[in-house]
Amino acid sequence: MSPTATPTPTHADSAAYKLGRTYPDVPLEEKQRLFDEIKADERFHDYLYGCYECGICVAACPSARYYDFSPRRIAQAAAREDVELVYQQMQEDIWDCSQCFSCLRCPRGNNPGGIITVMREVAVNNGLESAKQALRGYTRIIYKIMSTGTQVSPDMLQADAFPDWGPSVAKVSQKLDLWRRALPPETHHTTTTGWEISTRTLVELYLIWHKTGALNMISELDPSLHSLLEEVMEDLLDEEGYELD
Amino acid sequence: MSETVVVIGGGPGGIEAARQVADLGAHAVLVEARERLGGTPIFANYAALTPYFANAEEAMDAMIAALEQRRRAQVRTSTTVTALSGEAGAFKVELSTGETLDAGAVIIATGFDHFDPGRERQIYNYYQYPDVLALQDLEAQLKEHKVVVPSTGRAPESICWVQCVGSRDRNIGNEWCSKVCCGIASKQAIEVRKLSPQTRAYIFYIDMRMYGYWETQLYWPAQEQHHVQYIKGIITEVLERGDRLVVRGEDTTMGRPLEVPMDMVILSVGMEPSAGTKAMGDVLGVERNRHGFIEVLNPPLDTVSTTRPGVFACGAALGPADLEDTISSAGAAAGKAVAMLRADSLAVA
Repeated sequence: MSPTATPTPTHADSAAYKLGRTYPDVPLEEKQRLFDEIKADERFHDYLYGCYECGICVAACPSARYYDFSPRRIAQAAAREDVELVYQQMQEDIWDCSQCFSCLRCPRGNNPGGIITVMREVAVNNGLESAKQALRGYTRIIYKIMSTGTQVSPDMLQADAFPDWGPSVAKVSQKLDLWRRALPPETHHTTTTGWEISTRTLVELYLIWHKTGALNMISELDPSLHSLLEEVMEDLLDEEGYELD
Repeated sequence: MSETVVVIGGGPGGIEAARQVADLGAHAVLVEARERLGGTPIFANYAALTPYFANAEEAMDAMIAALEQRRRAQVRTSTTVTALSGEAGAFKVELSTGETLDAGAVIIATGFDHFDPGRERQIYNYYQYPDVLALQDLEAQLKEHKVVVPSTGRAPESICWVQCVGSRDRNIGNEWCSKVCCGIASKQAIEVRKLSPQTRAYIFYIDMRMYGYWETQLYWPAQEQHHVQYIKGIITEVLERGDRLVVRGEDTTMGRPLEVPMDMVILSVGMEPSAGTKAMGDVLGVERNRHGFIEVLNPPLDTVSTTRPGVFACGAALGPADLEDTISSAGAAAGKAVAMLRADSLAVA
């Protein structure tokens, strides 16, 4: 993105211009539409009252220590209805939040993390580039959860997979099956999933993701992951006698 | 011992002090320089009183009518005090009309003046730009149930208040917080948003001082229901650009300089010792503090006794005060004045 040299007079008061990234290719109407979608969310008015700019949310925010990220700016931009800045934040800021909700200690009862939840949903539902980027790193995890029902599995312990897991990983990964069978719960005697998942559980989970629109979101954000999932799950659903519309 | 208390100043504080003196059984003479009672709420064209939005004229008329019912209270308008002699319990108070009153005690209720944005140097081009107004100028519009840009006669697209004009400023010499301007700006912003819902309203501030219940009476509703934008960062200058104004400040939220086009800029001017307060300090021989307001002898547990025995003060003569503080200190001054008159007969053994 290149900085805009001459902001339009109507929106010269948007703080977005001060930062130099204004997404000039995205029409203002589109930014307004996205903001209206955020504002129309029934949670929005419970999440945002008014901001003192006291900074307690920033002080409490773990992400603010690591990134150029401020829950106060999120609340303030939404309160000002600065659609340019809100759009910019949807593209650049909202995925820095860890959704820990430490910001709930706001004296005014604001919930900046909650505003971010809504902004993320709108970003995902509208296929914003930031949402695609943010979820790209999670493709493997999404695939794992949606196709197996568990997120972390023992066979992810591979010598070269996660260097930061330490030097013992290589040794442990050699006799995974043995280590797992040493665990008392028999449901943990697995290596490709975290624990045993029944076919019924897997099918129910998949149907929930289907009915709640989670699968649609994935098709919007990552079509190849979506078709891979469909392929894997189709047979299983067939066997169980389900037909998806 | 004279049974009379002379009250100087016919605004809310003076009217209340005189009424209470009469209600306590003593005699009150209320002396007012202007031709009628009512003080600043009337003469500065206040529309609605902060924080309850009562109609200023109706509220003051009711106060004045209540005073007029007191047979022990008299009023001298278009009159000033020119000299004070004698001592507590037996003062002689000389008036500009030639009359001399016997008084046991005196209460100063001479209030405040609005800070003049052109007093020391031109601030925010108040006298150059017709669309830069002070709080009381907008009050006059609101009193007529309107908000219009003076140069165009149309409702403003954007309006802003600049807080702390003539307050908390070492350069200007007024180091005090004027206490009420945060509330009044918020009150006005609510009124503007109600009168002209399409107008965008901004308040630029150093810190909002909405003590006590003003928080939920003014600040929160302004922000949450009327979507007044509070921006922390004070305006450094107001410029003309084309046929609009531009305000320059810091957007502290983003940590960047800011420029916003405006149609109207309202200067939240603070309180200064009024001309009457300064004059009465000299005429009555009571000390004023380093800020120019009447000095109290024993704060914080005596808020109304001045450096001259038998002379008391109330309201904004003592320093920045809202109406509730003014009415309270007027009662305290009346109580102490009457108690002093009665000290001989009712002294605690």
